[in-house]
Amino acid sequence: MRAFAYERPTTLQGAVALLAEHGSEARLLAGGTDLIIRLRDGSIAPRIVVDLKRIAELDGQIREHDGGLTIGARAVMTDIAADGRIRRDYRALAEAAAVVGSVQIRNRATLAGNICNASPAADTAPALLVYGARVIAAGPAGTRRIPIDAFFVRSGVTTLARGELVTAIELPRPTSRPGSVHLRRTRRRGHDLASVTLACAVRADGVTQLAYGSLGPRPVLVSDETGLLADPTAPELAKMRRLEALFVGASPSPRSMRASPEYRLAMLHVLGLRAVGTAIERLAQGSVPR
Amino acid sequence: MTDPCVGMSPRRVGGRDRVTGRQAYVADIHLDDVLHAKLVSLDCARARIITVDTSAALAVPGVRLVMTAADLPQPVPRFGPQFQDRPVLAAGETHYHGEPLAAIAAETKDAAEEATRLVRIEYEELPAVFTIAGALDPMAPLVQDPALRPGDRLARSNVLREHHYGWGDVDAASADVVVEGTYAFPMVTQFAIEPHGFIAAPDSDGIAVWSSIQHPNWLQRVIASLLHLPLAKVRIFAPDPGGGFGGKQHAKYEPLVAFMALRAGRPVRLVLTLEETFQAVRRGASEIHVRSGFRSDGGLVFRDIEANYLIGAYADIADRTVAKGSYTSNGPYRVPAVRIVARSILSHTTPSTAFRGFGNPQQIWAVESNMDEAARALGIDPLALRLQNLAHPGEAFIPGDTPADGDWARTVERAAELIGWGSPPAPGRGRGLAVGLKSGPTTGLSNSIVRLLADGSVIVYAGTSDMGQGARTIFAQIAADELGAPLDWVTVVMGDTAVVPYDQQTSASRSSVFMGNSILLACRDIQAKIRAMAARLEPVDEAAVVVERGEVRIGGRVTPIRDVLVRGLGRLGGELIGIGEMRKEAEPEHPLGGTAAFFEFNCTAVEVEVDRETGDVVVARHVTVSDVGKAMNPIQVRGQDEGAAIMGLGHTLMEHIIHDEAGRIRNLGAIDYRIPTSLDLPLRMESDFVENADGPGPYGAKGMSEGALLCVAPAVAAAVHDATGVRIRDLPLSPERVWRALHDAAESPDAGAPEAIDAR
Repeated sequence: MRAFAYERPTTLQGAVALLAEHGSEARLLAGGTDLIIRLRDGSIAPRIVVDLKRIAELDGQIREHDGGLTIGARAVMTDIAADGRIRRDYRALAEAAAVVGSVQIRNRATLAGNICNASPAADTAPALLVYGARVIAAGPAGTRRIPIDAFFVRSGVTTLARGELVTAIELPRPTSRPGSVHLRRTRRRGHDLASVTLACAVRADGVTQLAYGSLGPRPVLVSDETGLLADPTAPELAKMRRLEALFVGASPSPRSMRASPEYRLAMLHVLGLRAVGTAIERLAQGSVPR
Repeated sequence: MTDPCVGMSPRRVGGRDRVTGRQAYVADIHLDDVLHAKLVSLDCARARIITVDTSAALAVPGVRLVMTAADLPQPVPRFGPQFQDRPVLAAGETHYHGEPLAAIAAETKDAAEEATRLVRIEYEELPAVFTIAGALDPMAPLVQDPALRPGDRLARSNVLREHHYGWGDVDAASADVVVEGTYAFPMVTQFAIEPHGFIAAPDSDGIAVWSSIQHPNWLQRVIASLLHLPLAKVRIFAPDPGGGFGGKQHAKYEPLVAFMALRAGRPVRLVLTLEETFQAVRRGASEIHVRSGFRSDGGLVFRDIEANYLIGAYADIADRTVAKGSYTSNGPYRVPAVRIVARSILSHTTPSTAFRGFGNPQQIWAVESNMDEAARALGIDPLALRLQNLAHPGEAFIPGDTPADGDWARTVERAAELIGWGSPPAPGRGRGLAVGLKSGPTTGLSNSIVRLLADGSVIVYAGTSDMGQGARTIFAQIAADELGAPLDWVTVVMGDTAVVPYDQQTSASRSSVFMGNSILLACRDIQAKIRAMAARLEPVDEAAVVVERGEVRIGGRVTPIRDVLVRGLGRLGGELIGIGEMRKEAEPEHPLGGTAAFFEFNCTAVEVEVDRETGDVVVARHVTVSDVGKAMNPIQVRGQDEGAAIMGLGHTLMEHIIHDEAGRIRNLGAIDYRIPTSLDLPLRMESDFVENADGPGPYGAKGMSEGALLCVAPAVAAAVHDATGVRIRDLPLSPERVWRALHDAAESPDAGAPEAIDAR
C-alpha cells in the first residue's frame, strides 16, 4: 500500500476542516472494513486517512428522538442487529445488519460507513430506503439532513459535498408499525456479497414499499400505493404482474461474475414476492420477532 | 506397560500450538538481514517481452536487487517434477496470468512492492488459449516451444501427452443399454489457509531454503541440480505447512528465491498473497465423455472413456494426475471391456498440479454421474447397480494391477444404512449416492530413524510433512506402543534435510503406510536390540525372549522395555538407535510405473433440498464412509474424511476459477472465489469407516484422507436429480446453474434426460 498521512482529529470541526482541505484525496476511517481492503489491494491510494474514532461528537449510540431513532456514525452492525428497538420497529434493518460480512466484520463495520461506501449491493441501504431514513451530514456550511433516497448516486458516490461527513442516521417514527423484512441472494450461505438485496415494508394503510440493491448503479426504492401487494387475498399472479411493473427500472450489470443479469432479475421477482408475503404475515403478527 | 495408543484418539501432537497460533510457519520465520521479495508479472495471459527496464525500480530507496531472466545463468534454468519446462523466471515470453518475469528484493515489503510498479516492461500481448476447445483447435497457438519437446510426435500440438489404458474389446462388446454423456469439471484452487512461503539464505558454502513444501527431499534435489551443489550443501527446512492439499508438493518459487539470495548475498523471503497462490496452483479442469454399456439386468459390459484435462502453461505434476486419475477411471467395478483415452492439454493458464484426489475427482464425477443415469435408464436402484457390479475382495478388477484390497460392498452398505436408503427421503428432498476409488502410491521410499533414549523416551525422525493431516500424532502413537513409552515421551522431528533421513514425498495418502511402516521397522530394529540385551542380562537364549508392543516376555514373565533398557545400558547410559526403510520399487512394465500400494475407497450418500425458485441446493444430510483397513487414530480419520467431504462440497456447489477473454483470473481472491464456510456445511454430517485390517500399513492400515472428497459431486448431483428430475453435467451446482437447468427443463420437458439411451 502507498504511504499516506494519518490524522486523528478529536473534534468534528477538525475532521471537517481536514476533509475540506483535502477533498477526494482524503479518506475516512471508522470501522475500516472497506477502507483497509481497498488500501491494501491498491484500488485507492489517498494522501490522507482521517480517523474518526477519537471525535467526541461522533459515537456509536442509538438514541430515541421524537419516537424515532438516531444511529450514531460509529454504531456497528453487531449493535444495530442486536438493538431491541430496531428489531421491533425496523426489523428489516436489523436483519440486513445481521448479514453484512462476517461476525468480525460486523463488530467493526459501521452503518454510516456502509452507506457512504455507496456500494449498490450494500445490504443496509434497501432497509433504510423503505423506512425513509435521513442522513445527517456535518460540513463547512453546518449540518443538514439528506433523505436517504437523495443520498446515493452510484457506486462509491453520494451527494455529500466536499468537506461533509455523516454524523448520524435518523430513522423516523413509523407511522404505524409496518410488517417488514430483508432478503438477499448470495452464492453461499456463509458471508458473501449479495447479488440481490431487498427490503420490503407493508403498512397497515395498504402501502407497500420495496427497495432493492445490486441491480443497477444504486439502490432503488419503489412503492405500491394501490393496496394490491399488501392485500393478503390478492392472487399471486396479480402481485407478480404488479412487481414486474415496479421493478421495471432494475438494470443489473452484464459484467458481473457474481450472477447474470437474467438470474438477478428473476431473483428480484422471487425475493420480491416472498418478501411481500413475509411482510404481510409480520404485519398481521405485529412484527414482533421471536 | 502403558495403555495402547494405536487405535485410540489421543490429543493431536502439535495441535495446541497450531490452533493457538504459536506454531511457526515459514512466514513467521524472520532471519536477520533478510530482504523481502515481490514478483513482477503482466496483466495478461501471454505476451512477448520486448524490453525490461529496471532502472526506476532500482532507484526506489531500499531496493537491493531487481532480478530478471537476464540475471540468471543462460539459457534460463528450467525445472519440474515430470518435465523440466518451468523457467526460474519467464524469458522472452510469459505464458499465464501471473507468471513472474522479474522479482524485486528490498529492505521492506513496501519498497519491493513499490518497485514492482516501476519496472518498465515493453511487451506485445499474444494470442492465447484458455479452454479445451481453444487449445485443441488446429490453428491454436502453441503453449510450449516444440524445441522443449524433442522427439515428441505431439510437440506441434497443445497435447502434452495422450494416455491409453484398458482391456477387452469395447467395440465387440454387445450391450442392451448404452448410456453416455459428457461431464465437465471446472478449474478450482487448493486454497490452503497458509500462504506459500519461501526463504533462501546463503549458508557458508551452500544454501539453506525454508519452504512450506510437502516434499522437502524432492526440493533438495531440484535446488542442488539448479545450483550445481551437492545434496549435502543444500539444507531444506520444511516447517509444518498450514494445509497443502497437493498444491505444496513441488517447487514453485524456491529456485527463484535461491538465485536471488545467492546474488544478493543475503537471505531473501517471498510470501505469496492469496491472489498469488491462485496464480501458482490449481486443479486441472476436465471434460470427460463416458459411454457405458449394460446388459438389461444391470451388468456392465463395457466402458468407453475419453478424458480431456486442461492443464496449465507448465506441466508441473499435472500430467501424472491425468495418468493416474484416468488409469482407474472405470472405478471399482468388474467390467470385461474398458477403453480409456486421456489427454493432458496445455493452456495459457495457471499450471495445474496435485490437488487432493489427484486427477480422480474429475473422472469420478463423470463415471459416477453416468452410473446414476444408467440406473435410471435401466430402472435399477442406483445402490443395487453399484453393488451388482462392484469388484469382490481379491478380484483383479484392473488386469495386471493390485486386486481389490477391501470388502467394498460393506462400505457401500454402511453408507446406505446410515442415510436410510431403503426408506423414502423427507418430502421435497432427493437422495443420491456414489462411490470413489483412488489408487494409492505406485512407488515409494521412506527412511526413518528412531532413538530410544536412556530414560525410555523416544525421538522419531521422519521426513513426512505434517500439513494438518496429523502425521506427527500417528508416528508418535506407533513408536509409543512399540517401545512402551507414554505418548508425551515421544518427540517427532521433521522438516530438516540435514537431520532427518530421506523420504520421497508426502502425497497420495501414503505417510501412515510408508513412513508408518518405516517407523514400525525402526522400532522393530530397536526391539531386536532389546531382545539381545534381555537375553544377555538374564541370561537366556535369545530365542526365549519375545519383544512386542512395549514389552519383553521371557517365559511367563513380562517386563516393560524401559526396565530392560535401563539395566542394559548400564552406567554409561546412551541410547539404542533403530533404522527403518519402506520401499516400493518401480515396475517399468506397468502403465503407471507401479501397481497400487493400496486403494482408497469411499461411499458418499446425501440427501438434498432444492429450492426450485432460486436454485439453492442445501445438503440436508451427508454420509461419508471410507474403507481404511485400520483407524490408527479414529478421530483423525473422521477429521480427514469430514474435511475432505467439505472440500468436495466446495467444488460441487460453489468453487470455480473464472477467466476473462484475455485469460486473466476474474475472481482473483477470496471475495469472489467462494469456499464453504461453517454456514455452508451440510445440516447433518455423519462419517464412519470400515476396518478389516486388510491394508499394507501398520496394523493393517491403508492410506486415507482423499477418499471422502472423491465422489461428493456425483452424489450431490444425483440427489439433485432425484429431487427435481433435472440432470446437470457441469460443476459447480451453483444456485444460478441449478435454477437455469430447472428453468430450461420447465420449458422443454425432454431436457435433463440422458443424452442417449439406445438399445442395440
